[in-house]
Amino acid sequence: MSLKAENLSKTYGSGLLGKGKCIFRDVSFELEPGQTCGLMGPSGEGKSTLGRIIAGLESPTAGTIHFKDSPLSGMKKAEYATFRRRVQMMFQDPTDAFNPRKRIEHSISEVLKLLDTPGTERIRRTKEMLKTIGLPEEVLARYPAQLSGGQLQRLALGRILLLEPEYIVLDEPTSALDVSVQAQILHLLKKVQAEQGIGYLLISHDEAVVRFMSGKMGMLENGKLKVFE
Amino acid sequence: MMQEEAYIGENTTQESKIRKSTIQESIIQESTIQENTRQWNDFRSLNLDLDIRKYGKNLKRFNRGGLFLFTFFLILALIPALFAPYSPTERFIPYEAPSTAHLLGTNDIGNDILSELVYGARISMMVGFASACISTLIGLMIGLLSGYFRGTLDELLMGFTDVVLIIPKIPLIIILGAFLRPSIWILILVLGLLSWESIARIVRSKTLQIREAGYVKSARCMGFSPFHIMVSDIFPNLVHVLLPKFMLATASAMISEASLSFLGLGDISMKSWGIMLSFAFSRGGFIREMWWWYLPPGVCITLCVMSIALIGFGFEGREKEKRGVDAE
Repeated sequence: MSLKAENLSKTYGSGLLGKGKCIFRDVSFELEPGQTCGLMGPSGEGKSTLGRIIAGLESPTAGTIHFKDSPLSGMKKAEYATFRRRVQMMFQDPTDAFNPRKRIEHSISEVLKLLDTPGTERIRRTKEMLKTIGLPEEVLARYPAQLSGGQLQRLALGRILLLEPEYIVLDEPTSALDVSVQAQILHLLKKVQAEQGIGYLLISHDEAVVRFMSGKMGMLENGKLKVFE
Repeated sequence: MMQEEAYIGENTTQESKIRKSTIQESIIQESTIQENTRQWNDFRSLNLDLDIRKYGKNLKRFNRGGLFLFTFFLILALIPALFAPYSPTERFIPYEAPSTAHLLGTNDIGNDILSELVYGARISMMVGFASACISTLIGLMIGLLSGYFRGTLDELLMGFTDVVLIIPKIPLIIILGAFLRPSIWILILVLGLLSWESIARIVRSKTLQIREAGYVKSARCMGFSPFHIMVSDIFPNLVHVLLPKFMLATASAMISEASLSFLGLGDISMKSWGIMLSFAFSRGGFIREMWWWYLPPGVCITLCVMSIALIGFGFEGREKEKRGVDAE
């Protein structure tokens, strides 16, 4: 039931002309449901790249990702579709988490349409989701530019939760927010984890955030991953 | 002034008297000049706004002017019967000078030039808009595909774009015009098919940028199809770069149509402004100095293209104002 990464390597810019730059090599770790794994390291060491690879947005140069014991590269279409729903990613900048030209309502019902939820069910689930993340229903009628960073980050999490994910890669989810809002988001993440048993991969350069959230912690430095318990 | 007076004081009294009167005159003159300059400056700051800092305000004003002009031409094109005194094919005495019956005179076969001019608006603008639609559509699709998928597809499409970019347009159209039967539809098609490259490049660069935005990445993560992402996430955020480009493509297509028609490659059965110019040239309008024949279509082309370009610039300017970034 876990999400496993085995011997991942990523090299950028390799092609006919050059060998390219190796970002990291032979990175292996495992994510368990209901647990948080922190990933730290200096800027530019490939934390976000690793996150995107785990979430399946980018392909690694070498190595494999196993989701429920089947490798990502050899998945059938239906299998990949479940993986696509069960593993989600949340990004750093809340201001561009939603399409600036569409109302929040549109962005949210779009996800429910993707899941083939019928109309009445859609309203109920949206309301339920808003209750979970603690926002009033008025936000639905707004455009992203009319909401604060904290509200948007909550909504981003809420939208992800509609897909009922098992793992979420959190790419610096709080570093664009100020301290009090950071705490709210982190508490919300913890609450959601306790309720739904989601596994997090928390990427951050803030040690306090990682310590608050996780038991396991990894350090990505000089292309190697060191794991501390 | 003081120096001159001191110098005068050293001279004889008679001379100084003459001098004094001239100085007084010059003082008066100078003060009137100063007054004039001041008035001119006032006038300039009030009416012309040459100050570079007021560029944005000027742009808005020009944009409004462009919109007004464009609406005028659009109405001409949509309901020409309302403005044209006669049918464009009705024949009167040829080569007549402007009179109350024919405000812009008649041409070589006796058609009323004003009526021709009014009916020509529709054809000129149709060619412009239709070919701009084609080129914008092609440019949008190629730009979106290569910007979104990147990699090999991007390189292939952009290579193709570069090839099309270096084809000399007007000579090619002249050659095509020589082989194909001249028709307005072929003109539209050729103009449209050959002017999408800059749009494709801009759409691609903007798509590359939007692709990295959080909402596109999360849409990909949630499993939306590439088509859905392109249509509902990327395209709405491209419109503000596409619109000014579309307007400029329209303007340049109208210019190309006019120059091609002038060269005799236009469709004679559909009299556009360019064809009017061409006839004025070949049927003796220029030699007889019948300015009322060749000047109005030229002025109309210029004004119409200018109004469209101004609207395009206006869109760009507004976007810059709103987002504080260059629209491109």
